[in-house]
Amino acid sequence: MAGSLSGTATRPGTGPAGGEDLRPARPVLSWVLRLGGLLARRALLLAVLLATVFAAVELLPGDAANATSERGESAADLAQRRELLGLDRPVLTRFTDWMTGLPTGDLGTSARGESVAELLSRPFPNTLLLGGLALLATLGVSLALGCWAALKPGGKADRAVSATATGILALPEFVVAVALVLVFALWTDWLPAVTLTDADGSPASWQMLVLPVLALSIPQIGWNTRIVRAALADEATAPHVETAVIDGLPRHRILTHHLLPGAMPTIAAGIATSTGMLLGGAVVVETIFNYPGIGSVLAGAVTDRDSPVIAGVVAVTGAVITGVLLLADLVRTWASGGRI
Amino acid sequence: MDINRRQVLWAGGAIGASALLAACSGGGDTSAKAAAGAKPRKGGTLRVGALGRASAVTRDPHATQANESDYLIISLVHDTLTTPGAKTNTAPRLASGWKASDDLKTWRFTIAEGAKFHDGTPVTAEDAVWSLRRLRGTPSGASRLPGIKAENIKAEGTGTVVMVSDYANAELPVLTRLTTFVLKKDTKDSEIDKAPGTGPFTLDWFRSGNARLVRNENWHGGEVLLDAIEVKIFESPQAMSNALLAGQIDVASNVGAVAARTAEKREDIQVVRRPNDMAMPIVMRTAGGPFADPKVREALRLAVDREAMVKQVLSGYGTVGNDILGTGDPAYAKDIPQRTRDLARAKSLLEEAGFDVSRTYKLVTTEDISGLAESATLFATQVREAGVKIEVVKQESATFWDRTWLKGDLYTTYWGTNDSVLFLASKTMVSESAQNEAGWKNTAFDAAYRKTVGTKDAAARAKVLRELQQLEHDASGYLLWGVADGIDLAAAPVRGLPTLPGYGRVQLERAWLAR
Repeated sequence: MAGSLSGTATRPGTGPAGGEDLRPARPVLSWVLRLGGLLARRALLLAVLLATVFAAVELLPGDAANATSERGESAADLAQRRELLGLDRPVLTRFTDWMTGLPTGDLGTSARGESVAELLSRPFPNTLLLGGLALLATLGVSLALGCWAALKPGGKADRAVSATATGILALPEFVVAVALVLVFALWTDWLPAVTLTDADGSPASWQMLVLPVLALSIPQIGWNTRIVRAALADEATAPHVETAVIDGLPRHRILTHHLLPGAMPTIAAGIATSTGMLLGGAVVVETIFNYPGIGSVLAGAVTDRDSPVIAGVVAVTGAVITGVLLLADLVRTWASGGRI
Repeated sequence: MDINRRQVLWAGGAIGASALLAACSGGGDTSAKAAAGAKPRKGGTLRVGALGRASAVTRDPHATQANESDYLIISLVHDTLTTPGAKTNTAPRLASGWKASDDLKTWRFTIAEGAKFHDGTPVTAEDAVWSLRRLRGTPSGASRLPGIKAENIKAEGTGTVVMVSDYANAELPVLTRLTTFVLKKDTKDSEIDKAPGTGPFTLDWFRSGNARLVRNENWHGGEVLLDAIEVKIFESPQAMSNALLAGQIDVASNVGAVAARTAEKREDIQVVRRPNDMAMPIVMRTAGGPFADPKVREALRLAVDREAMVKQVLSGYGTVGNDILGTGDPAYAKDIPQRTRDLARAKSLLEEAGFDVSRTYKLVTTEDISGLAESATLFATQVREAGVKIEVVKQESATFWDRTWLKGDLYTTYWGTNDSVLFLASKTMVSESAQNEAGWKNTAFDAAYRKTVGTKDAAARAKVLRELQQLEHDASGYLLWGVADGIDLAAAPVRGLPTLPGYGRVQLERAWLAR
């Protein structure tokens, strides 16, 4: 990817001065169009995904009326519950109803009669906080490690970083999480073992975030460090970098001014894909740390066959992932465009 | 009232009881290491972890409470008419006493003297009647108050609630133990989450399944010692156990045997066992199929090694069963000889019955509660020694309840209300019961059941109840190899914890902190 993008970078230095007069309004317009098209495609994808959610829940045995009943409720009671939940209507009707509420922020009602938006109002920001911090940690640490390794290709640091990164990217989050709890909470008592919430529904202290963030980001750091390292290595073969090396510029300057800008699109794409992995991993990590996020809401909703809740979770996480991917696209466009 | 299945999913530990409603067993306010000396001390905040899922949080006391955490909070803020007890399985709570008419159809409950809502208003029979009718009107109402129509619940004066059952029911008070929370008459649905209760604690705040409760200085039930209780919701027993071990909470409620095993090595942690919490019987279909012959069922009951099941499946945290459900009932027939393993007799019975031992039979189970699937696997291994080949099939919870429950030939089930023989008989063994899991129809048993619930004289009743248990022991579709203890973990200074199984675990109003 980096190769193709940097292909446009064959005329370094000609851009800024010559371009100014030529592109006033048109690039903006094409940008908006491109952005709009991108957004529309992503929105469509999300709608298809949501339809799939409704269909999939429909295919599972049992339904929400059944799942939220008590053992031994009679058929008549079940029918009453089913009607109460609107489950007697065809799945298409329920889906359409739910979708029409979506633009106004109405995510429907759960099988237990709670508003889905309300149900997600505290857990979702908590998950975003957890995922956001993990994303920042992933970005910061993998950039630092990747650059460190790239400073002296084939050196000790490079070999150590690459080997470690490969090792940890294969670790599932729950293994990391359990190990962290054992070491940092139960044996040494340095950090809290689980997250408890205070009256406003958010974690009671910042220390409670440390272990969940680490558990989430460690495997992703492994993955992204390798991407950063590989992107930098790829970029190092570019002619302008070779020129810089021949010119005798300091290594760190070559890194920051010549390697990184070219490698940025690849790195951004790698980080963006990590967003999905982070949100997926959050489900597991939240359970282990009792973190009050959407992971537990989602797991419970699947058990309850609670389509509006599942779809609500998918919609909000889908929107976030779409946002991050879009941002990554913009970074890529900017990074490649900026060098023309 | 019983278990709402999925609730149990988080499962880990003995969830159990959550499920059950109606009858929990045991006794009332006994306290776990209360005997340990020291005079009860006032003050302190108790941090309690309880299982629950964020998606299933309910605030309505009359809704289906899937979360143990929700039920705990609700039952500390609101009072039920009666509560599980130790010496008798039903003890007074908001109702100070109750009396039946001679035909055992009309029951009068007296509201406790001095009972007040948290805002100071006295509790009247009207409030109780309104609440009971509201409960009866929910989709689960019919199974919570069976045989009692809403219009047959009435107030008599300000202090007496009258309930008229469609049939004689000596066990009616048992039904009033678990969700008969009393709210002020005409409380609006939109205000239910903030409605004042009458219980030992008042609600300070509630957020996403977590809550802080503070002492009600004027509780009619006596002095409450704790300043406050903080309830923390946990999705998994493992996380809850970690929180306790790390000192972030003081009590891990119903955390299960796995956690107990870990904690036993720690001297600063108390393991509180609440016997007769969760029964995990194997259901053998009597209405047809390969287990319809009583001899075959008897053979399986003789082929199982009960001691080994309790030791391995429950890690020893449980007791051996004798194929009679309701082991925690004060009237449980302890004198019926315990069935023990007899492989030779099992084999000869199978031969007599002409049982096809060349076939492999399926035993369907789920992972709804901890130990259930393991019990099926060990059972299959054990009965192979008697020549019966069983393959264990694990089904996802919803699939199991939809397709196997009440229909399968051989499957595992579980019940959390184990302190009433009659309650379980009425739910699962009387011919016409809605949850007749084995499809058992036995006229002698039906007659014994009707006679028991229709007999007012205690001694005469005990006699028929004994007969009923003998019939159940001999011929029902259940193989009850053992009953799991409910297990709570607590930090060293916690005193006065409940020891009752099932919903008895929420009786925290007598707890105190020795620190």
